[in-house]
Amino acid sequence: MLNRISTMRFRTKLNAGMSLIIISLSLILAVLVTHIAANSLVHETKRRGQVLADNIALRTTSSMLSGDLLQMKEMVDELRTVDKDVAYAFLINSNNQILAHTFTNGFPVDLKYANGITTTDQPSIKLVDTGSDKFYDFAVPVKAGGHVIGQARLGLSRSQVQSVVNGLILTISIVTGITLLISVAISTQFAHKITHRLGMLGKYAESIVRGELKLNQTSGLNRNCWEVYKCEQTECPAYGNTDRRCWQFGETLCTNYCSNKSARDLDNCEECPVFARNSGDEIHELAETFDVMSLSLRGHIAELEEAKNDLTQQQEILRTIFESSPDQLSLIDKEGTYVSVNQAFASFVKKTKEEIVGKKEYEIPSLLNTADTLQETKQIISSGTPVNREVRIVLEDGSRKWFNVLKVPVHDEHKQSIGVLGTARDITNVKDYQNQLIHSQKLESIGKLAGGVAHEINTPLGIILGYSQLLQEDFDKEEQVHKDLVVVEKQAKFCRKIVADLLDFSHQTKSQKKEMCFNNSIMEVVQLVRHAFKLDNVEIIPNLDDRLPIIYGNPEQLKQVWMNLMSNAIEAIGHNGVINIHTKLDINKGTISAWFTDSGTGIATNDIDSIFDPFFSTKPVGKGTGLGLSVSFGIIQDHGGQISAISPAPKSLLEDGATRTENWGPGTSFQVVLPLDEIGYE
Amino acid sequence: MKHHTFRAFFLVLLLCFPLLLQGCGEEVPVVKVDFSKRESIKVPVPEPAITYAYLPQYSHEISYARHNPLIQYLAKETGLPMRQVFPDTFEEHIRMVERGEIDISFSNPVVYVKLAQLGSTAFARIKEPDGRPAFRGQIIVHAQNKAIQKLEDVIGKRWIAVDPYSAGGYLYALGYFLDHGIHAHNFREIAFAPGPGGKQEKAALAVYAGKYDVASVREGALDTVKDKINLQHIRVLAVTPEYPGWVYSARKGMNKEIVSKIADAMFKLSMKDSSQAAILSNARTSGIIPATDTDYDAVRTLIHKIEADRVTSSLPKVPSLPVQQVTNAE
Repeated sequence: MLNRISTMRFRTKLNAGMSLIIISLSLILAVLVTHIAANSLVHETKRRGQVLADNIALRTTSSMLSGDLLQMKEMVDELRTVDKDVAYAFLINSNNQILAHTFTNGFPVDLKYANGITTTDQPSIKLVDTGSDKFYDFAVPVKAGGHVIGQARLGLSRSQVQSVVNGLILTISIVTGITLLISVAISTQFAHKITHRLGMLGKYAESIVRGELKLNQTSGLNRNCWEVYKCEQTECPAYGNTDRRCWQFGETLCTNYCSNKSARDLDNCEECPVFARNSGDEIHELAETFDVMSLSLRGHIAELEEAKNDLTQQQEILRTIFESSPDQLSLIDKEGTYVSVNQAFASFVKKTKEEIVGKKEYEIPSLLNTADTLQETKQIISSGTPVNREVRIVLEDGSRKWFNVLKVPVHDEHKQSIGVLGTARDITNVKDYQNQLIHSQKLESIGKLAGGVAHEINTPLGIILGYSQLLQEDFDKEEQVHKDLVVVEKQAKFCRKIVADLLDFSHQTKSQKKEMCFNNSIMEVVQLVRHAFKLDNVEIIPNLDDRLPIIYGNPEQLKQVWMNLMSNAIEAIGHNGVINIHTKLDINKGTISAWFTDSGTGIATNDIDSIFDPFFSTKPVGKGTGLGLSVSFGIIQDHGGQISAISPAPKSLLEDGATRTENWGPGTSFQVVLPLDEIGYE
Repeated sequence: MKHHTFRAFFLVLLLCFPLLLQGCGEEVPVVKVDFSKRESIKVPVPEPAITYAYLPQYSHEISYARHNPLIQYLAKETGLPMRQVFPDTFEEHIRMVERGEIDISFSNPVVYVKLAQLGSTAFARIKEPDGRPAFRGQIIVHAQNKAIQKLEDVIGKRWIAVDPYSAGGYLYALGYFLDHGIHAHNFREIAFAPGPGGKQEKAALAVYAGKYDVASVREGALDTVKDKINLQHIRVLAVTPEYPGWVYSARKGMNKEIVSKIADAMFKLSMKDSSQAAILSNARTSGIIPATDTDYDAVRTLIHKIEADRVTSSLPKVPSLPVQQVTNAE
């Protein structure tokens, strides 16, 4: 039953409740009023009967004393004519003899003693039931001189009273019924009014739930604040806003009742005519609260959307950074399980990311992992201390790689370690540069030392050369002494050449730089050696940038560099080959590059790192000084440029317009990069 | 659950409340009477007894109240059955005596004079409460009636008397007026209080209410109205000479022995006995003494004087005794 009531519509419940209250109250009131009215009527009837009886008793005293039977008869008969409710009346003397009565067909025998005054001469009322009717019988003493001289008896019909009571009940019932109908109709209308508005609020709430944050249409403004106050402050947030009440704004410019008041302080608003005209009952207030909530939600949702977009963007950026990082990145939780890895990591371990995520660290074999990796992770989490180590590995193809492995603990908002972020960076290049740096420092030391020594031995060497030439003049060319002196001179010149190279290498000679054409510098050397190289069937193929790049440099030194490179090339080729010279101007970087590529035997991998070292030579003893590339390296550095070698030579460079010969080797390509302007030198 | 049960019980109780009220009506004992059993009523016939009547100077109730104890005493004292009868008017009283319906009549002297003419015989008379065997009439006016300061001022005024047969309430006063040269026709109006009974009071009340200027009442009558009016507003203008008091007379042909027994019983009444004193006080007397017809000659003289004045009066309409109303044509 209770469940059925609880599932009823609110409107039905309200209707039923109010109807029940009205019906109950009507019934209670009807019964109560009827009862009271009936009682009053009966009471009044009794009182009336008593008064009539008292009256007849008083009036008949004299007649009774004088024994005037006719007058007594007239008096009792008169009662019936003045009051139709009087059913009978009679008088008894002190000897209980009937003196007068109103009965026409004889006096009822039993009636005389059915009632009577009390022993203390007080009046008495009894209900006489004749079977067909009931009468209120009043017995009143007739007194004279303090003595009871008889009794007056009067009978009032109860059925008459009852019919009046019945009429009263009928009237009250009809009035109650009509009142009930009117009340139920009004209450139904009232319930409909309330539930209709509640229903609209409900629909409004549902629309809010669906995300349709439109303003409630049930609570329209009656008068706008700017109209009420004839306000012209257009910059006020409430001005012109027909969707929101002025008291829903945090700050308005209104100085009437709400200056410097927050929107929730409605105490002041209660006196404001705008509030008075627009505020309504509780449902109205609820609707307005919904409006405020809707507006507030709309604002919050917009903020959330914005935050979500920001977050998505940030997430995307982070993901991009994470994914595009060349470093191997991995996130491991406290249990040693991979939570996230990037593509570099996945590629390194040759698995997909999906295969890795969720697996334990030891389940994914990696060259970077050691036997105690798990222990290491636990150690980082427990101690919170990062681990940073460099690892050298040998890949399957035999190449070696250096990795910098960094593992840092990841903390939650409570500063508790929840995992480890692992980073593995390929530092092989860094390691190479590191080695080169060490090598360069070594070369610099050697150069300085050699320069010092060369400077010191240059003078005595000049003297030896001078004296050997002077002595030659003293001896005949055929003499052994002359021949020896020629050898001395030749060797001394060789020594001087070595000394000069050493000085060049150590930059101890000042070079004169000027504006010069880069292409011309190369072509001058090519013209010089082309014929000689042709003899060995080595073709020089110049492929120069026709934009005539001008550089700031020392033409002689640069020509020496070109000469050295081409000398090395012809030595590497021997016979039958190609030397491809390629220049390219890069205006964006401000550099001019030249590639000298030969089809020679190439440089062994182990040697390529050492070719610019002084005195490094693959030639037989006596054939080369081992200073050519070192000097070239020094000149290019002096011009602010770079020189490097690649072997085997790239095919694009080597075979550009060339025809393969018999001894086509892997070849070597030297690249020289020089800055275009003077600034690059400094 | 318990809470729900309690609430439901409370609701039911509330709804049943009007039903509980049904028991709150005032009811009376019910007596079953069979109205089909009927009988015809015979007129009750009073038992033979010596009838005693008090001249209806007052209402029947007062007459009963005053004299019933005395009658009870006399019946008990003489052993004779006695019953009080109530004539409505003085004339009826006289007629009933004449017809023999009243054996013992207690009347004023004027009525007695009339009864004596019909054969009644006086055998006792009462003493006034103050002990005198005679009584007077009083001429009263309203205390604030400035127009009547002395007796002569009543000329041209309206006079209300008790009854044409009233001694103290009319004849004594008329005799007094005649003695002072004021004749009946000197009044603008002479009216008599309407009956039956209560006439003394009515006369006094008429003056009190301003309906009449002058009233004549028996001495002592004002005491009977002291509960109804403020006696301060009544001024006694004059008091008539004394005449013998009220008289007991036996009708013509009444057994003398019985009369003698009753008279003896009356004479035995004494104010010294408390129960008898109550009977006497109730009857507005202090004792009953023997009387003879000659005691009332003074009254007969007065009546003659009045009658003579009536005959000689220029007002022919003044009725011979008994008169009902005298109106001055002027």
